[in-house]
Amino acid sequence: MSTEEILSLAEQIVKSWDWATEVSRPKTNQLNVKVNVLNELLPIVVGLRVKRLGYLSAIVGVDLGPQTNEIEVLYYFCPGDAVIVLRACVPHQNGTLQSLSEIVASAEVFERELREMFGIEITGLHETEHLYLPDDWPDGIYPLRKDFEPTIISAQTEKA
Amino acid sequence: MDTNFPQNNFTVPIGPQHPALKEPGLFKFVVDGEIITGASVRLGYAHRGIEKAAEGRNWVQNLYLIERVCGICSHIHALAYCLAVEQLANIQAPPRAQAIRTLVAELERIHSHLLWMGVSAHEAGFDTLFMYAWRDREKVMDLLEGLTGNRVNYSANLLGGVKFDIGTAQAQSIREGLNFIEDRVRHYQDVVTHDEMFLQRTRGIGVMTRAQAEVMGAVGPTARASNVPRDLRTIAPYAAYSQFPVQMILDTRGDLEARFEVRLDELFESIRLIREILNALPESELTIRMPRRIPAGEAVVRLEAPRGEVFYFIKGNGTDKPERLKIRTPTICNLNSVVHLAIGHQLADAPMILAGIDPCFSCNDRMVQVSKVKDGSEHDMTWKELRQYGIDYYRQLSK
Repeated sequence: MSTEEILSLAEQIVKSWDWATEVSRPKTNQLNVKVNVLNELLPIVVGLRVKRLGYLSAIVGVDLGPQTNEIEVLYYFCPGDAVIVLRACVPHQNGTLQSLSEIVASAEVFERELREMFGIEITGLHETEHLYLPDDWPDGIYPLRKDFEPTIISAQTEKA
Repeated sequence: MDTNFPQNNFTVPIGPQHPALKEPGLFKFVVDGEIITGASVRLGYAHRGIEKAAEGRNWVQNLYLIERVCGICSHIHALAYCLAVEQLANIQAPPRAQAIRTLVAELERIHSHLLWMGVSAHEAGFDTLFMYAWRDREKVMDLLEGLTGNRVNYSANLLGGVKFDIGTAQAQSIREGLNFIEDRVRHYQDVVTHDEMFLQRTRGIGVMTRAQAEVMGAVGPTARASNVPRDLRTIAPYAAYSQFPVQMILDTRGDLEARFEVRLDELFESIRLIREILNALPESELTIRMPRRIPAGEAVVRLEAPRGEVFYFIKGNGTDKPERLKIRTPTICNLNSVVHLAIGHQLADAPMILAGIDPCFSCNDRMVQVSKVKDGSEHDMTWKELRQYGIDYYRQLSK
């Protein structure tokens, strides 16, 4: 399948969720899908997976800063040369997403990273211990958020 | 990344010090007698917070930071970063710079694959092969040093081009070096496909079917040894790979032997490609002027590192610093497969299965535990004990 065919197939799949998504084509090889109804994320991934477009390259978290108090989560599916991005926004406080790990096994590590680095609760994870951060890392401090202050950690280590 | 942990079994930790390569990671294997029944991984022992640090540095400073993500494949990280920033700025490096970038990337692949072959041979107890492989790797390091001035962290890239040109004398020394390496690789190919002792450690061990590789999202030579056609140099060419195409090396067997053969065949392909680039190096400038301001926007770059797909995401906000930089390295995708593949295997095969994916924790951090259970004292086996155990086990088998 050519890149163009992959993207139009993906667009067709996502169209079934037109009430929950906004679709755009920022680059020739990229399809952006903004998922507004978070509960529909999993079914859309199943849809991509069924058509063999479900190779998950990475999950990226981006803190949008204090203006919106939201974290944008980008799911990068990269079949061949094409890039399909599912974008979901969750709030800083009590942000929750469903785990993709039942559908895409490789999602689990990315989700564990997302959880410890951004403080997004992921439901359905098999393992919730730290993946990268130390075991004694303080609760409620998420290093990749924009408001993270490294001095909090150094103050704690000095006390110990 | 955890699989079933049944009751009344023993957990054998490998790591966190030096589970396969000389890098930190902790793997916990649950064993029932000799058989591994569960495995889990814990990373982070080399986590340096590079993604966060990048948010506090400007575009040029970050180039030097990113080059230090990994000591083995430093060039591919710097290249991915440069390509992403160039994508944001909407410019392209000149053709000669792209060709030199590709050439250094292929030299790096040769050095990385030889390093891996040495390490895996060491894990199998075949130290002679380890020493020869690493001796020959020195040749590539010398070539890289002659070209860039550095054995590691070559620092070949600039935003918008490369730092150095390749003259006729350098081209000649690279050609001579490649002739030597090609001869040696041909010999190693013969060794790993014919040495009976070695085949006992690789043939039919750690088999990953194509379906498993697809489900677990394996990348790079690990995936290609299971017949998954995933090589970004072919499916999504970057830098100069569209002018100098590479052939994808695939194998259907999916075991450790296949992973050896795929990587060795890729060495020949890299050597061929470097020769081709040297023969037809395009004439152009080495750099293009970068705009003073990098516009806001998002860029995604996927490159084929020696270990598989490396993914870079950069979000710019129009200032002199990136808003967010995300790095996804190939090891994290392949580690998942180790945890699943090890189940059902002999404990003695665990080091080889782990080494088989060519893990790179420095890239990754961004672990396996083996406990000794036979004598009833559940203590954590050291790596040395485990390695010796693997060697003794197979020595006994071959008697």
